[in-house]
Amino acid sequence: MATAEMNAIVHRQARAPFHFQSAAHLIRIGREKANNLSELLEALKVCPDGSIFQHTFQTLREHHFIREGFSNDFAHWAFAACNEVGLAERLAGIDVREFMSIAALRQRLVDIIETYLQQNPRARERVAFEPFYFSASEVIVIPTPFVAQDLAEFADGIRHVSLASIHFHFIDARLRLKLDSNDFSLWLEHELDLGRLADHINRIDIYTSTLHDVRRAILRFVQSALG
Amino acid sequence: MSDGQRMQDTMTGNGPVEGGSVVSASATPEIERRQRPRPKISSTPPAPPPPPRLDDYASIIGQPELDDLRFLAQYVRCKTVKMVNSTAVGGGVAEMLNRLVPLMNELEVVTRWEVITGGNDFFEVTKGFHNALQGGEYSVTQAVKDIFLSYTEQNRQRMDFSEDVLVMHDPQPAALIRSKRSDHGRWVWRCHIDLSNPSPEVWGFLRPFVDQYDAAIFSSPAFSRQLACPQYLFYPCIDPLSEKNKDLEESFVQKVCDDFTIDRSRPIVTQISRFDRLKDPVGVIQAYKLARKYVDCQLVLAGGGATDDPEGAAVLQEVMEEADDDPDIIILNLPAWSAIEINALQRASTLIIQKSLKEGFGLTVTEGLWKGKPVIAGAVGGIPTQVIHKLTGVLVHSVEGCAYQIRYLLTHPDYAAQLGRNGREHVKENFLMTTNVKRWLLLLQILLGTTKPHPPEQG
Repeated sequence: MATAEMNAIVHRQARAPFHFQSAAHLIRIGREKANNLSELLEALKVCPDGSIFQHTFQTLREHHFIREGFSNDFAHWAFAACNEVGLAERLAGIDVREFMSIAALRQRLVDIIETYLQQNPRARERVAFEPFYFSASEVIVIPTPFVAQDLAEFADGIRHVSLASIHFHFIDARLRLKLDSNDFSLWLEHELDLGRLADHINRIDIYTSTLHDVRRAILRFVQSALG
Repeated sequence: MSDGQRMQDTMTGNGPVEGGSVVSASATPEIERRQRPRPKISSTPPAPPPPPRLDDYASIIGQPELDDLRFLAQYVRCKTVKMVNSTAVGGGVAEMLNRLVPLMNELEVVTRWEVITGGNDFFEVTKGFHNALQGGEYSVTQAVKDIFLSYTEQNRQRMDFSEDVLVMHDPQPAALIRSKRSDHGRWVWRCHIDLSNPSPEVWGFLRPFVDQYDAAIFSSPAFSRQLACPQYLFYPCIDPLSEKNKDLEESFVQKVCDDFTIDRSRPIVTQISRFDRLKDPVGVIQAYKLARKYVDCQLVLAGGGATDDPEGAAVLQEVMEEADDDPDIIILNLPAWSAIEINALQRASTLIIQKSLKEGFGLTVTEGLWKGKPVIAGAVGGIPTQVIHKLTGVLVHSVEGCAYQIRYLLTHPDYAAQLGRNGREHVKENFLMTTNVKRWLLLLQILLGTTKPHPPEQG
């Protein structure tokens, strides 16, 4: 990137500031419980949206430090408690970033399990080693003192906010935005006209990275843009 | 004098040593030739250190996490909370409240802790309830009901219930809900025990009280019951700044190992637990013996409960017989105030084992994970919540499985180290005291309506 262009980026003021927020979650124990895959399927159809969120988006935050082999609670249960490796693999392949609504994510889970049980009817009633207990997240959004008016302040915020904040803006955001993007990329593109940087950040792989890695990767891209 | 006798003398304070005892792997006189130096543990409990301040946790959880806590506390600042349980000292609940209450007050959530009173007859009844709620037998006669309710009534008369939120811990104070007013105060029942398979008779007696609460808290979804009120999940937690878990100087760890004649140049496999059959210490020795055919290691079995509990003494005897005269099996019967020595033993270990056959949550597993150690644990109770198989540790179901994992982890140190790193992060995210404080702040907000939770699609 030319020096003049870098200077322009460094001094560019956002049309609207970025307010960093965070989120805290309290887990409510659900009424649904599954002893086999058939019961899991039925519960998936009726459980609250908060349960789908807890066992996919939120569990990813709780287990973000695992770089490989963990995707969501349903996949883990299919593997560890049901010994259904094929189903576990398909469920683990679900990428929450592709979903802009809980309804769509719920439908994908139901479709995968229904298809699997059609192909493997004996797996339907086989009793799991331990039950699956549904729970749901109650989310409270927390403001932080960090506000960015330009790219340097944005980097400062990324450096200092909690991992919960990174998860809130980078992963949960899709459900709020209804877009295949995240709060950071959206702001960089719309308020600072940094589409390429926004795209780089949006392509960070959350399934092979911890949230610490995500923070570092964002900072690396931003530092590179700042020169 | 046999080793067993020497231990008894030590633990009752009649003996000449300062406290604690190293029990050789056999009670036979030949084994007494292997004189181990005596441990330097005080014969009486030391004075507890002052509780940590919130800022003391910054180096562990990071300043942003502390900022989140302080922000959440603003919504319930100056609200009043009363925690009620049945004992001020000893036991996990008192230990947890000792740390939680000062932190809540530091956050300006005015939190008081009161202990109910009762005679021996009351505590015999509540012990019966406690055991029966976890699957034991107990007959709820009219006399039992009268004892329970009359002491409840005495405590009701003595205590004040004007706080904004009243939290009753476990079954002992549960019937104080009779003091609930319709116009003030939200009541929470914090159940620390496993209610998955309660005695119908005891649960049938207590349930009408529990159903009057505004919320209930359990340590695992598997421990909960269907209730009329909302139920929340609060994992048990450890305090990273406690004697049991704080960072230690390497020289202190070395000194403890020297005291117990543990050779740190060779792998150390450790199980910390009471001498209780449900912790399967004999199975651990069997697994160690199988593993030793292929790998070199020492086994440390450290815990208490063999002095004041006849069954514990019997289990210790079984353990010593199983250990035979193996000089690499080190059996330590420690006094209850050996937290810092246990911390050192865990930190000196190459692997931590918790091969329980039945377990509550299993805080010794949490402690091992927090120290970044690869953990091999029985897949029972709350352990699978902590040990995610092959990700934060390994789960086993048999002696043979345990033996295999000892061999595998000792010969694949990189993999073992990764498990340890993941395990520590898992505890940091989910099972620390500061996370517990955050849960309380969130629950208070929800109960008092000072903020409303957001649906995931609104944020």
